[in-house]
Parts: sequence; C-alpha cells; structure tokens
Amino acid sequence: MSAPTLKLSDINLNDPELFEREGAHDVLRLLRREAPVHWNPGGEVANGFWSITKYDDIRFVSRNPELFISSKGIAGPGIRPEALQSLDSGAQPQNAGANISIIGMDPPRHVKMRRLVNKGFTPRAVNAMEPEIRRITNEILDKIDGRDELDFVLEVASQLPLAVICGMMGLEQKDWALMFDLTNKVLGSGDPEYQTEVPEEERGTSAAARATAMLGVGTMMEYFRNVLEDRRRNPREDDLPTILLESEIDGEKLSEGDLLAFCFLLILAGNETTRNGISGGLRVLCEHPDQKAKLLKDMSLMESAVEEILRWVSPLHHMARTATADTEIRGQQIKAGDRVLMWYPSANRDEEVFEDPYTFDITRTPNEHLAFGIGEHFCLGAGFARRELKVMFEELFRRFPNIELAGKPERLRSNFINGTKHLPVRLNSGR
Amino acid sequence: MKVQVNADMCEGHAKCEKAAPEVFKVGDDDVSVVLVDEVAPELVEKVERAIRMCPRQAISWAKV
Repeated sequence: MSAPTLKLSDINLNDPELFEREGAHDVLRLLRREAPVHWNPGGEVANGFWSITKYDDIRFVSRNPELFISSKGIAGPGIRPEALQSLDSGAQPQNAGANISIIGMDPPRHVKMRRLVNKGFTPRAVNAMEPEIRRITNEILDKIDGRDELDFVLEVASQLPLAVICGMMGLEQKDWALMFDLTNKVLGSGDPEYQTEVPEEERGTSAAARATAMLGVGTMMEYFRNVLEDRRRNPREDDLPTILLESEIDGEKLSEGDLLAFCFLLILAGNETTRNGISGGLRVLCEHPDQKAKLLKDMSLMESAVEEILRWVSPLHHMARTATADTEIRGQQIKAGDRVLMWYPSANRDEEVFEDPYTFDITRTPNEHLAFGIGEHFCLGAGFARRELKVMFEELFRRFPNIELAGKPERLRSNFINGTKHLPVRLNSGR
Repeated sequence: MKVQVNADMCEGHAKCEKAAPEVFKVGDDDVSVVLVDEVAPELVEKVERAIRMCPRQAISWAKV
C-alpha cells in the first residue's frame, strides 16, 4: 500500500535503511506510475543516478551492453571522486592490483572470459549435480532434526549454496565459515552487524562500510592467492580454480588479477543471493499459508513456485550500468557517463507485465521475471540457484511440513542485496 | 525469414526449444541450433517468443 505522504521529491533509493525496513516497494510503485525513469540526486558521498523501474526499460538497458556498460561499477551509484579520499583513510590498500571480474566486464572480453567456465553451469551440469545437492541438503537438515527453534538463515539457507559453490571451487570444509563471513563483509559492508573490525561508535557510517568491504576483499584475495598457488602445484580435476589456471584467452593465460577476481566473484555470487532466495522463499510461503498448503498438497508445483519466489523476492535489488553515449529512455535525456540503476524488484511487480503483481501465486503463468537479469550478464549461476531452491524446499517440506516463522526477520541494510540476516523459525516436528 | 543463434552467447537454457521446438534444438554441447533454413510464416510468432524469452538474448532474425 502506498503511504499517502510519499512524494517524488522525497525519494532516495540510495538509502539502505529504506530497504532494511522494506519500504522500497512503495517507492518503486510510485516511480513506475509517475517517474519511471527518475533522476535520483546524489549526496555528499554518492553520485546521482537514474532509476529505471519499468520491466521493458530494464530489458532495453540489459540488451545494450555496449551503450550501458558494466565496467564503471555494477553496484550502487558510485562514490564522488572528491569523497573517495576521505573514505579511504584508514583502510588498507590490500586489494591494489585486483582486476575486475566478468560481472564488471564489457563485450567482447566478457563473453570470452565467461565461456571459460560456463559449461560448468549449464542445465546439463546442474542436472548432474542434483543428487549431490540433495545429499548436502539432507545433511544440513539432519543437523536441525529434533530441534525446535532456530535461525533458518544461519543454519539452513546459507549452508546449501555455500557448500555447493565451495565444493565446485574445491575449498576445504574448514574454510567454508570463513567464506560466509567474508561474503557478509564484502556484500553486507553497509550493515553494522558485519562491521566487526570497526570501533563500535563509528559503525553505520560510509567510511565504516568502505573499510569493512576493503577488509573483506583484502582477506579474500589473500586466501585465493594461496588457493591458486596450491592448484598450480597440485592441479585438480574439475575444480574451478584449476580450470581457470589452465585456461587461455586469445592464446594468453589469465593474469593473477583476473584469476583472483574470477574466484572472488564465484564465491560471492554463488552463496549470497541463493541464500536470500531460500530464506526469502520460506518467509513468503509461511506468510501465505494458503499457498504453502497448496504446494505441500501438490509438490509438482515446485518449479512454478520457485519462479514465483524468485519474482517475489528478487534477491538483487539492482544492478548498475553507465551510459557510454547520450541516449534517451521514455523521453528522459541520459548523458554519456550517467549511472543507471535497474531496479529488479520493480520490474518484477510491473503492472503492465504481471497480472495482480502484488499477489503471491505459486501457479503464476507466464512468469518471465527478471530476477536473474537478461542478456549479456544474465546470471551465470541461475540454473544452480533454481535447483538449490527446488531441492531445498522439496526436502525441507518433506521432513518439516509444519515449519513456521517464530519471530521477526532481521533484514540486511543494503540497497543492493535483498538480504535476510536472521530468520527465526519453529520446526513443529511433533505436530 | 532466417533466424540465427549466437553460439558464443547460448548457454543451453532451452527456452527456445520449448517455445518453438520445430525450429530450435539444444545439442549435446548445450548450444541451441536452428533446425530449419527458412522459418515458415506460421512459426514466426513462436520464434518471436523464443527471441523474447532467451535469457541470454542470443537469438535474432538474420539480416538479409
């Protein structure tokens, strides 16, 4: 429901707190109706940016990766150059020399780099992995069997995607918790809960966010430097770091920076978003008991339910692009160099595309949501994400059909990741 | 009309095969191939749908 007081002039989608308190849908709905291509002014630290909120416009931006490039930054509005220096004081330049990964790469190099690994992510690869995904899922559920209340994010939702991607990367199980922690530091850097290395009185500031992200990035780079060093000496079959080490583009091996950035992206992207899809999915099903009951009665609806969960949750709030030439969308003049943010939750509630977009309907067809983006940068891991959600909910509801929410979800303070940090649930096994 | 699949972009999601099985088939290498030389008029709509749905936007009408 739109709050009656909401005015266009008050809108600021660079306010992570808006997303933490789940107020963004009201804002996005207003933008779709009154200013679908909207200039969001910058602030002391952040640049201004265009908010793209209509489904068709997000498709247009995505389908033109040379006009709207990724290499100037894919998250947030970007930091004003003059603000950068003050923010960096105190942070260690540990990630100096780090290259960008495919998510921030443009054509034609992007597709060449992506093709080094994409065979590992096709529907065929996902099918081959399904028994392993099911085995891991049941191992996770074995650990909570017999319990009553627990934090679904920490004990369940985070554990499956973490195990799958760490397994594909060949990382030792003792390091998985570190990967979880570092992912939170990098992608949840703006949330005080993860700013553990910053003095308490400074938490919640932009400087604290940047310092936390830098620390996370630096530690992860160091970790993967060691992994790559190990695989150079002891190559393994089928592990992603080894595949990358042995790969060539146009006859050249990847640089250390490219390798690190690639490993880094795979770990981050492989565990954070799917975690939020799983926790967000359980939450929306529990909040719509009729839909949960319908699914439990007919588990063949699972694939369609997963699509509706993805539409509803939209694990990523946005991706950013930068215009390379002056252009126009819906009559708005976008200048070369302007930052453009595509708001996926808005595309996925677009009244012109989805019938009753605010109704959660696990049988919705068609359901061509943009939760994974589209085109050049379509989520490489989409197949795994979908399968992990499907298998998790199949096994979870088979074993704990009476699971319910047992408290208020704690949300991530971020306008990039639609994250849930904690989700208290009750298993009600005995019922 | 001729339709083409960009093999560099295709990652075998098979949405095209679902939308227009008469025209597209995903091979063992996870890349979709076009089965017909010319798309028959009655299949144009299905192909349009495949073009729209392709997650990688790898399908296009061939320019003559």
